[in-house]
Amino acid sequence: MQFKDQIDFIRQHMKRNKLRVATTILAATMGCAFLIVLASVGFGLHQTITDDVLDNNMVTQIEVAGKTDGDTELAPADIPDAELQQIKGMEHVIAVVERNQPEAEAEIMIGNRSTYSQVVLSSMEEEQKAGFALSEGKMPAKAGEVVVGYHMAERLLTEAEMEKEANGEEVEGFAGSLIGQTVELELTPFLNEGEERTESSTWEFVVTGIAKEPAKDWMTDVAIYADSSWAPIFNEELGLEKGFKNILVYADELQNVGGITDALKEDGFYVYSVTEELGTMNVFFTALKAGLIFVGTIAVLIASIGIFNTMTMAVTERTREIGVMKAIGAQPKLIRKLFLMESAAIGLIGTALAVVISYGISVLANWLVPIIILSSLGEEDAAGISIVISTIPWQLVVIASAISIGVAMVSGWRPARKATQIDIIQALRQEM
Amino acid sequence: MIKIKDLQHHFKIGKKGNERHVPVLKSVTLEIGKGEIVAILGKSGSGKSTLLHILAGFMSPEKGSVVVNGQETAALKEAEQASFRLANFGFIFQNFQLMPGLNAFENVELPLKIKGMAETERKMKVQKLLEKVGLDQVAGHYPNELSGGQQQRVSIARALITDAPIILADEPTGSLDSETEKEILLLIQSLNKKLGLTFVIITHDEEVAAVADRQYRLHDGELVKGEQRHAV
Repeated sequence: MQFKDQIDFIRQHMKRNKLRVATTILAATMGCAFLIVLASVGFGLHQTITDDVLDNNMVTQIEVAGKTDGDTELAPADIPDAELQQIKGMEHVIAVVERNQPEAEAEIMIGNRSTYSQVVLSSMEEEQKAGFALSEGKMPAKAGEVVVGYHMAERLLTEAEMEKEANGEEVEGFAGSLIGQTVELELTPFLNEGEERTESSTWEFVVTGIAKEPAKDWMTDVAIYADSSWAPIFNEELGLEKGFKNILVYADELQNVGGITDALKEDGFYVYSVTEELGTMNVFFTALKAGLIFVGTIAVLIASIGIFNTMTMAVTERTREIGVMKAIGAQPKLIRKLFLMESAAIGLIGTALAVVISYGISVLANWLVPIIILSSLGEEDAAGISIVISTIPWQLVVIASAISIGVAMVSGWRPARKATQIDIIQALRQEM
Repeated sequence: MIKIKDLQHHFKIGKKGNERHVPVLKSVTLEIGKGEIVAILGKSGSGKSTLLHILAGFMSPEKGSVVVNGQETAALKEAEQASFRLANFGFIFQNFQLMPGLNAFENVELPLKIKGMAETERKMKVQKLLEKVGLDQVAGHYPNELSGGQQQRVSIARALITDAPIILADEPTGSLDSETEKEILLLIQSLNKKLGLTFVIITHDEEVAAVADRQYRLHDGELVKGEQRHAV
């Protein structure tokens, strides 16, 4: 029998038992939709957490927190320059940024305005290679030039404005552009316990650029970015030691971060990258998703009882017809195939409907649930939080469809086998 | 064309462990040539249907052999039996055995679908045959919309559609009135003459058996030769 005729044949049979077939399809749809929606919550939460991790990290950034040489533990500031040069030479490494911070409190002043700041001393050339970008202006070219954080201007307040802000009133900060302005940087060494307040020192810088706005809304950048050649000058003037040092290695692409991380670890470096965090998380969420798919499969198995019943009834009702078909020359494998195709069709239609319905439920859940969660958190806590409750990737659709159609075919297997075993003589004796 | 030799079969009656063996066919031997109409007469329970079922391959005999067109049918596996039936036999049943969900055209078309014939070719073939047996006007009607005679004509058309050389008819007029019975018997005779088809008719009715070239009677499982052809 040609495939088209087989399709016609099962379509005619399904039409004859519309109500029974429709309710069976409904059960298959519900089972499969339950599986997809349930698992989609696992996929959705995984995405939410992954996005959160990626949003809060430079994904190609690897932080070097120190090094061990067996017995000796080295802080980032003590790692020899030659070793950092070696890292720079590694494949897929595009930049190694050494950020120094003097052990001192920093205050920026312009006229009668001031703000507390953070001094970042780094090689501007390496920073640019690593992706440091400006929202306006240009990178420093001379020793006395700096870049300031995106929020610096709005945080430069007069005393009156500071008071206003303390009272909850809105303040504007420095009006106009800081580019070309001369700012004063006052550094006061941090005090250790029992130490007397030491003298502070002041330097003047010309602002040549404003850093790009931070990726997250809630981040405020009031740093002052100056060349690393200032580090020894500050330390000497204030009588400080080396200060804090942050070493950041940048990979060309996210896929190479894991390889570089592993290589650095082998060399004894203490490193941290986003792949470390994602790796642990992926194991947890893969287990969670597998668990949810397993629970969802139980619903599909329950639906399969309906398919089994429907197909058994179909075989019983059509015993005479099957007998006639066998008598006039239909092969047992054709009979089996027709019944298997019918149960597969029920599974297929059920799955197709389930996929459409699941996407609908997913969209609805992603719209409704975050509203409920965020409203219960309050405006402040909810700021910057983005929640994805349900995600249906194509892999989930493939897995769920395979399970659903597979289970439908397995359910139809026994009735189909029973159909092939029908005795022609007994079947022909049945009343119409 | 058909050679039945020393065919023996019995049925088991009674509960398991306390069964009784009842012989149905006792050493039946028969040869049927191409283009013959042979009638097997017998009372209810005489074994005539069992003989037809063995001949058609619906069941296997306990002893003896059935050779159809040179093929020992008992040696065939189930799937091979099905193919063999499709190629060699057409069936006419007492209660027509039409598919209730298919119309007359589709019922006749069914064996060709099973055979895997292309749609255009088989539609033309069915159309021609329905015209030949006078059913073209009711081709779109479902079995429950047809008279008994029309249903049996559809059944005959279904038996003929595959060009099988042998038609096995089990009480072909058993569910028909006498007028329609005559019509159907005339159709069988005309098909036999025009197409040279071999008919094996199982019946309890002497009038039906009268269309046969040869008649046999099954009595107590033994085949006895009967009368020659009479006019219908």
